[in-house]
Amino acid sequence: MGESALRVWYMTAISMDGVSKYFDAGNTVANYQLNLEVEDGEFLVILGPSGCGKTTALRLIAGLEQPSEGAIYFDDERVDGRSPSERNVAMVFQNYALYPHMTVAQNIGYPLKVRGVSPDDRDQKVATVTELLHIEDQVDKKPAALSGGQRQRVALARAIVREPSVFLLDEPLSNLDAKLRQEMRIELKRLQNELAITTVYVTHNQEEAMSMADTVVVMNRGTIQQIAPPQELYKRPRTAWVARFIGSPPMNLFRGTRRNGSIDLGEAGTVELPGKIDADEAVVETAGQDDASTASVVANSARDDVAVGVRPEDLTVSTTRPSSGNVIEGRVETVEPMGEYILLNVFVNDQIVNAKLSEWTVEKDERVYLTFDDDDAYLYDDGGELVA
Amino acid sequence: MTEDSFNSTDSSTDRNANTDARADGGRYLSVDEIPETAPVADRTWSERIADAVPSKRRGLKYVIAITIALLWIVPFIGLVMASIRPLSEIIGGWWHLEGMTITFENYYQAWNHSTAPMGQALRNTFIVTIPAVLVVMLLGVMAAYPFARFEFPLKRTLFFLILLVMAAPPELVAMGNYNALREFGLFDTYMGLILVHIGWGLGWVVLFLRNYLLGIPKELEEAARIDGASRYQIFRTIILPLSTPALVSVAVIQFTWVWNAFFFPLVFMRSPELYLAPQALPLMRGRVQVEWGLIAAGSIMTMAVPVILFLLLERYYKRGMVAAVAD
Repeated sequence: MGESALRVWYMTAISMDGVSKYFDAGNTVANYQLNLEVEDGEFLVILGPSGCGKTTALRLIAGLEQPSEGAIYFDDERVDGRSPSERNVAMVFQNYALYPHMTVAQNIGYPLKVRGVSPDDRDQKVATVTELLHIEDQVDKKPAALSGGQRQRVALARAIVREPSVFLLDEPLSNLDAKLRQEMRIELKRLQNELAITTVYVTHNQEEAMSMADTVVVMNRGTIQQIAPPQELYKRPRTAWVARFIGSPPMNLFRGTRRNGSIDLGEAGTVELPGKIDADEAVVETAGQDDASTASVVANSARDDVAVGVRPEDLTVSTTRPSSGNVIEGRVETVEPMGEYILLNVFVNDQIVNAKLSEWTVEKDERVYLTFDDDDAYLYDDGGELVA
Repeated sequence: MTEDSFNSTDSSTDRNANTDARADGGRYLSVDEIPETAPVADRTWSERIADAVPSKRRGLKYVIAITIALLWIVPFIGLVMASIRPLSEIIGGWWHLEGMTITFENYYQAWNHSTAPMGQALRNTFIVTIPAVLVVMLLGVMAAYPFARFEFPLKRTLFFLILLVMAAPPELVAMGNYNALREFGLFDTYMGLILVHIGWGLGWVVLFLRNYLLGIPKELEEAARIDGASRYQIFRTIILPLSTPALVSVAVIQFTWVWNAFFFPLVFMRSPELYLAPQALPLMRGRVQVEWGLIAAGSIMTMAVPVILFLLLERYYKRGMVAAVAD
């Protein structure tokens, strides 16, 4: 992120080193072996489906939970075992967690009050942040009298008023309607830019993650799947799972078998993918030089069963069979007009394949041919790892 | 189009004329066609009355409900009547209304009664009830909070024990309490009686407040922890203020219970000058004839206190009760 004009607070880098968290006496694994670095002033988004452990990861950083294994550092200081107040973190909760019996001003001033800040200083700081978040007119109201967006702003104000070194947000926008969410997204990003504060933001909404993050951490089933800037996440999803998770509608995956320099996709057809297959072999060979015996075992199992991934937007649809290129044959199942594009569900073999169309050129039950460029295809081995 | 004639003839012809020219077939109204106020249904008085008369089934329900309510309130009306009439008029039956004299003589006499002065007895009852209520509220919420939020060894066992104690009848416990109070020299003292009431009340108060506290979102406490509040600060600035409705409910119920208690004062209080109101009432019966007027006036004065308290706090009381028993 860029240099900010208002770099007022000292920032903190966060690092998680092999952090695991178990619940129910070890019967539930919430997080397993998380390794994560968040730089000073970075906007990091943890993205994953519900139940993937992203909120637990955030709570571990906050100090609301303590790790079962591993260590957490703020800068070079080890902080696991410390309480939230000793870590100087601020957090915004999904349902805002505003104190219902206090006015807006009292809510925002609460962290200062419990720290023994004098009433005059408190009032002044509350005035500054309410102005920053445009809620100066609401300070005497109780949270129940506020709209969703205003509550959100109060929660943000309460979090930043005491100048925390780390700013944590747990699905802060999920209770807002779509238009307000868009607005708050911009607001949040502006705030983070101005304050240049290290931020960890948890969401299940990939649009939020992609639009706001400097770095996105994709999590699934308690583990980190990939850490990458948003664009790279889309361009080079490291596993088949990430590939399916990022992008809407998700990437199409065709199961197939490698045979004689091409990939057999069963009844759907055969694709060549010259560049990809070469790369695959190159990888296996270099691995083989290090440790021949294990590499060959891995290579053998990885070689035969593969998956070819193509994003819906990279598929070209035609009603006549193209003479060359990678062609997959199918039957149109449904045509869904989405406004900006038309979504085709094509029945290929025994699976549904999504394709995006700009014009309504095909009808239901029509036979269509889907083509794609070699460069737009992703090759995954049977472990779901990206080969090329 | 005028405001009050949404379904009058001329406006509907207006609309029909418009729709012919419009492409949407008149399915959508343009903004200026929407009236400022909702259309008023013009119904005659007779139609309204006909609509308001309940069906037979519903009417039967009303009759039953009103009958039960009357049966319930009749003894109370009798009590009030007896308390404000001279004894000579009550003897013939309070429901005879002819020649009725209204007098507050009974109240005056009951207040200054020679063997059972109601004024003194009510003061005594306050002395016992107020600490018994306040201490139970404070101790109760302090005990309920850990049961609602913390994990500690034997939590379930301890909670079960509390419930178990609640199941014991007071007559059973009184024996042990009697001996214990004698041992400690607290027999026939208010301190002793207050302690028994506190111990007896704590069981249900802890159960009730725990259920209420479970309904306070955990995030509020987590937010306070993040904000830097200590456990004690969280309890005092978040939990206590948010428990107000439940604490009010506890106060009202415990107050009524302690105030009206007859059995415990009967067992633990011996000295007549220390007698509480429910104890004093039977003493006003009189030697030669039953002084119905005095007893009625004393009863009204005794029951008035919890009723007034309930009326004052009803709003909070209801909120507390609903929240504590919901989910």
